[in-house]
This record gives sequence, structure tokens and C-alpha cells, in this order.
Amino acid sequence: MHFIFSDEVVLLFDFWSVHSPAGVALSVLVILLLAVLYEGIKVGKARLLHQALTSLSISTSQQLIEETDQHSTSSDSPHVSRTRLRWFLCHFGQSLLHVAQVVIGYFMMLAVMSYNTWIFFGVVLGSGVGYYLAYPLLSMT
Amino acid sequence: MGHFHHVGMSMGMSSGDDNSTMAPSHHHPTSSASHSHSHMMMMMPMTFYFGFKNVELLFSGLVINTAGEMAGAFVAVFLLAMFYEGLKIAREGLLRKSQVSIRYNSMPVPGPNGTILMETHKTVGQQMLSFPHLLQTVLHIIQVVISYFLMLIFMTYNGYLCIAVAAGAGMGYFLFSWKKAVVVDITEHCH
Repeated sequence: MHFIFSDEVVLLFDFWSVHSPAGVALSVLVILLLAVLYEGIKVGKARLLHQALTSLSISTSQQLIEETDQHSTSSDSPHVSRTRLRWFLCHFGQSLLHVAQVVIGYFMMLAVMSYNTWIFFGVVLGSGVGYYLAYPLLSMT
Repeated sequence: MGHFHHVGMSMGMSSGDDNSTMAPSHHHPTSSASHSHSHMMMMMPMTFYFGFKNVELLFSGLVINTAGEMAGAFVAVFLLAMFYEGLKIAREGLLRKSQVSIRYNSMPVPGPNGTILMETHKTVGQQMLSFPHLLQTVLHIIQVVISYFLMLIFMTYNGYLCIAVAAGAGMGYFLFSWKKAVVVDITEHCH
């Protein structure tokens, strides 16, 4: 099996079969956007983790300040449970993002496996464009 | 029911026969190629399907034929994907713990007003023949092999197995990265 330039391609699902240059061009565009989304998800996961850690450290330091001021431990249990719940929800959201990242990564691998050179260019270009757009957002905060 | 598409042209069977038994929407690029004698008959599906009959999994003796075997394969693939995520997190933690060799080197740099300042560079690293690095290498090989296995499993295009890979990865990330994130939160402030 080898890479070929072709006007026909079947990608991933039974209904996604194209036989014309316009169809292939549209497929390449969809794959390109998928690759951009993949890079965006990678950056999004890192930013979500960063946001969660900073908000978590802020809330725990506030809790410590309140404790030293009031000299009582009866008020910290709702704070602790609220922080834990927030952390749990944030981590659950990150796990969903991780599943989306794994699935899109495998879809891109299977798209390249179609051995259609136009699709391969779409994947590579989309990864490049996605990296270019998304990674500056990583160090933004 | 699983749909298997014949890729390329097989020897001894006319292409008309092929088209009548397969889904009419399937076209493969190489079927238009002129060198038909060099193509082998491949039973590899190229689109997603849900089925559990005659599913080959990674090794030649491993064929799934019943729903019970598919359920077992689902659980096994789920656990493999979970193990892969755990291995990634474990390697990260091991790397962080073993970076104990810290090297400082100071060098003079010119400062303002003509004074000389000493700038100190800190490098952390591992020695090449140390046990932590060898362990990291062995774990890296295992990680590479498992990642290729997961890719090949996803390449069967079987819907149940692909869902098992994705769900296992998600559950593994949820369980192992949760612990790692809590540890990171407590011990490190500038992550």
C-alpha cells in the first residue's frame, strides 16, 4: 500500500464516501478543522488544569486566613467540601476533554490510513495551523 | 453484522462479483489502478461497524466469534487503555522523583555600573547508566508497545473495541491524573 493522489476516498464511516474533486476538497477541509480542534483541545486541557490549580490555591489560602482570624475549625468543613466538589467537577471536565482528544487523535490516524495524499496534507496542515493558533494561548495568563 | 470490504481485486474473481456482494457505496482508490495482479485479497474494513462475528484481534489465534467473547475483549481492551494512562502518569512521577542530581555552575557576568555578578545555573538530570534511567527506558519501551497495540485495536474499525479504547483512556486519565493533580497541588506551587 502506498500514498496516491485520488479523487475518491472513503473516510471513517460508510456514509462518508466521495467521488469528485469537490468532495475530496471538502473532506480535506473537514479533516483540517478536526486537526486544528485536536491541537486546541490539547492547549485547552492544560489551561483548564492551570486555572483549576490557581483557583484552588487561592481558595485554600483564603481558608487558612479565615482560620487564623477566627480561631475556630467549625467553619472550614463547608469550605473544604465546596473546594473538593469544584475540583472534582473540573477534573471530570478534563477527563471528558481527554476522551475527546483520544478519539480525535485516532480518527486522524485512521484518516491518514486511507492513504490518500490530499487527506494526509490536510492532517499535517491542520496540525500546523492548530499549533500556530493555539500554543500562544498556553502562556497567556 | 460486520461488513468486510474487499480491498483491491482478488485473483480468480471478477470485479463484477465483488461489487454485487459488497455495499455499493464503497470505492477504493486502488481498484482503479491497472496493476491488479500485485494486490492481495485483504479482509480489512475501512469504515466503522458494530459486530462481533469473525473479528480478528491483534494476533492470528485471537478471533472473536460470540457476544460473550466480545464482552471479554471489551473488558480486556478497557483495562489495557487504563493501564496505558496509568503507565504514563507513573513514568512522569518516577522522573520527577529521580531527578535528584542537581548541578550548579556559576559564571561571572557583567552587571550594571561595571560590576561583576555571579550568575548561577541549575541543571537537573539523570546519569545515563543509573538505575532510574534504565527503569525509565524499560517503561518507555512498554509504553510504546502498548500504544501501538491500542492503535492496532482501533484500526480494526470495530465500534465496540474503539469505544472500549476511548472509555478506558478516559477512565484511566480520570483515576490516575486525579491523584497526580492532588499531589502536584500540595507539593508544588509553580507547576
